[in-house]
Amino acid sequence: MSESIIPESELEEVELYHAKSWWTEKVFTQDAKLIAIQYGLTAFAIGFVALVLSWFMRIQIAFPELSIISEGTYYQFITMHGMIMVVYLLTALFLGAFGNYMIPLMVGARDMVFPYLNMVSYWTYLVAVLVLFVSFFTPGGPTGAGWTLYPPQAILGGTPGQESGIILMLVSLCIFIVGFTMGGLNYVITILQARTRGMTLMRMPLTVWGIFTATVLALFAFPALFVSAVMMLFDKILLTSFFMPALVEFGENLTYGGGSPILFQHLFWFFGHPEVYIVALPAFGIVSDLISIHARKNIFGFRMMVWAIVGIGALSFIVWAHHMYVSGMNPYFGFFFATTTLIIAVPTALKVYNWILTLWKGNINLTIPMLFCLGFIVTFLNGGLTGLFLGNVIVDVPLSDTYFVVAHFHMVMGIAPVLVILGAIYHWFPLITGKMLHEGMGRFHFWVTFVGSYLIYFPMHYLGFIGVPRRYYEMGQTEALYTSSAADLNVFITLAALAVGFAQLVFIFNVFWSAKRGIIAEKNPWNATSLEWQTPEQPPIHGNFGKELPVVYRWAYDYSVPGAEDDYIPQDVPNEDVKLADGYSELGVEKT
Amino acid sequence: MSIFSTLSQKPWMADQAAIDNNHIGQAVSMPLPRVALYVLMAVIGVLFSLFSVAYIGRMAYGDWRTLPEPTLLWLNTAIIMLSSISFHQATKNAKENQIKRSREYLLLSGVLTFGFIVGQLFVWRELVSFGYFASTNPSYAFFYLLTALHILHLAGGLIAWTVVTIKSFIPQKETSDFALKVNLCAVYWHFLLIVWALLFTMLLLT
Repeated sequence: MSESIIPESELEEVELYHAKSWWTEKVFTQDAKLIAIQYGLTAFAIGFVALVLSWFMRIQIAFPELSIISEGTYYQFITMHGMIMVVYLLTALFLGAFGNYMIPLMVGARDMVFPYLNMVSYWTYLVAVLVLFVSFFTPGGPTGAGWTLYPPQAILGGTPGQESGIILMLVSLCIFIVGFTMGGLNYVITILQARTRGMTLMRMPLTVWGIFTATVLALFAFPALFVSAVMMLFDKILLTSFFMPALVEFGENLTYGGGSPILFQHLFWFFGHPEVYIVALPAFGIVSDLISIHARKNIFGFRMMVWAIVGIGALSFIVWAHHMYVSGMNPYFGFFFATTTLIIAVPTALKVYNWILTLWKGNINLTIPMLFCLGFIVTFLNGGLTGLFLGNVIVDVPLSDTYFVVAHFHMVMGIAPVLVILGAIYHWFPLITGKMLHEGMGRFHFWVTFVGSYLIYFPMHYLGFIGVPRRYYEMGQTEALYTSSAADLNVFITLAALAVGFAQLVFIFNVFWSAKRGIIAEKNPWNATSLEWQTPEQPPIHGNFGKELPVVYRWAYDYSVPGAEDDYIPQDVPNEDVKLADGYSELGVEKT
Repeated sequence: MSIFSTLSQKPWMADQAAIDNNHIGQAVSMPLPRVALYVLMAVIGVLFSLFSVAYIGRMAYGDWRTLPEPTLLWLNTAIIMLSSISFHQATKNAKENQIKRSREYLLLSGVLTFGFIVGQLFVWRELVSFGYFASTNPSYAFFYLLTALHILHLAGGLIAWTVVTIKSFIPQKETSDFALKVNLCAVYWHFLLIVWALLFTMLLLT
């Protein structure tokens, strides 16, 4: 792509859409900020369902004698919890909600480039969510195939939800992907083509870089899920044998034959691994910005941070088979994927070092967003380190079906990104609502969530090491194989999980309470440099930037610049307008 | 400048800032719909590539049978080629501001595309009449799947074609982007022609 200067005459002022009725202004809105809120609320609503499912599962594991759910229901809850959290909550929140809100504001645009398509994208997402949700109420209930939906069991009798649940799941995923593609086109093209004057790609905040790269990954990875979903739908409905081998069910030969379940696994994980980074890269970007702002220091190694985001994005497409070490693959094939997996640790570690070096000698304000960022760094580090264990074939094989894996992926792509999302909400809530979130409730929320998560997942690593298998709805007679501490730990983990769940209820209350009764936020309360805080109104109104679009004169990390009176210089302030500190003749130059 | 030189910029340096301040904020000098179409075609390209990979992967198994391609497919291929050529002519005329002639070619392209879709449905009917169902063999299943997907993408294109064709009946202002829109339709049709040609070649070779 070219970064050459384009003559001004070629630029046309894009006409801003203005709603003509309450319905088109508030409901079928084309304003990216409102669409973002719609995405966010929908994602949180369905995410809350998934959270409640996890409570049921935890209570069942800790107190199997209560039998609050049956084994079939347990599998259904596992499946729905996983799929909702990964796709319908995290992907939709990072790209649909944060992408829509932040991209136009941060790059200095009035809106997304295709607002109508943006609106259709949200409503398509909503349909996908509803189709999935409906499966709870259909005969047989939702699918219990596990979130990876592996054939042949996903569509065979004996697997819960094989009547209609699996069909609704696959259809919902296809609808989600179509909706996402519309949104994704918008995000990518807005970033590439609708930046304001002076906003080069390298002047964009890392939040935008993270969302941009994740969107590109999603645009190219989701088709793999689409392909596998469509082909499995064919197998289920038209009785084709893409993935289905010859099978005997209840003593009868099925009509299937010759299909390859492994083919599905390859397609699924070709999507599935980039999906990890579709969630992680926006989190990396956001956390970089938050750390820089709340430590009053420019991000350490900005260019390396960009390169790492792009590098991780590219590498994420060649590591997928590390999810399939136990599928009986050729050892050399496993060796290749173990190598690429370990290589991806390099740019990832580089990012962790850079966050720590940004904090080093920074003016660290322990605000709630900063607390969440610090929580993220250690959690991501923990989750990343166990990833090095599992990335090696020889270690993965014995650990693969144990709680070690559950602990690993919840730390690295459950808790870590969620901490960023929560930190980001505390950070941008004043921008979105004009109010501050309640400090006391916020701190309570952070500490219970952070400490509670460790109380949940640290013991799970231990359970995994002693061989406690995952996916079992109760230990049953296998309990005799482990020390009695395994059962006790399960009770402990469940209590911690319920406490963390309670903290989320406090958070939800805080959001609604503060939006109505919270302290009115002062303008740009964190003294940030990026453009979203420089709008004439807070919260920004339709069109974002008043009559004139801002002009960008600097990168997004001018914090504590020597010679400047304030410890930040907004991106739209030219050098001539910067107030100099006493004793300086210009920025960085002391009077002689 | 390449992506590499962009990524090596140091935006915090004063000399780089002087250059950056004049930047207009666009990565490529191209109208938005054209960029959107290129990105969309890349995504569709990935989608068909992944289906092709799955096709080749599934072929390796013993139960695979070669699909006897009906002769009608050759005729359909000729029709979609003509449709693409007709779109090319429509673009050429639209650029020369000959709206009426452009409209004639647009209508011809639409009719030919409908013809292609109907032709593909006849191929399906022929296969079904021979007892080649999707469940009979994965190669047949792939045939139905890939052709259906290709038809769906053409159908999506026909929505854009309808809008542009209606536009051709409305008198155009000088600044109108009619020629651009016709051109974008043509590019999409050429793209789907290439996709079909590759799919057809794959079907013939296997």
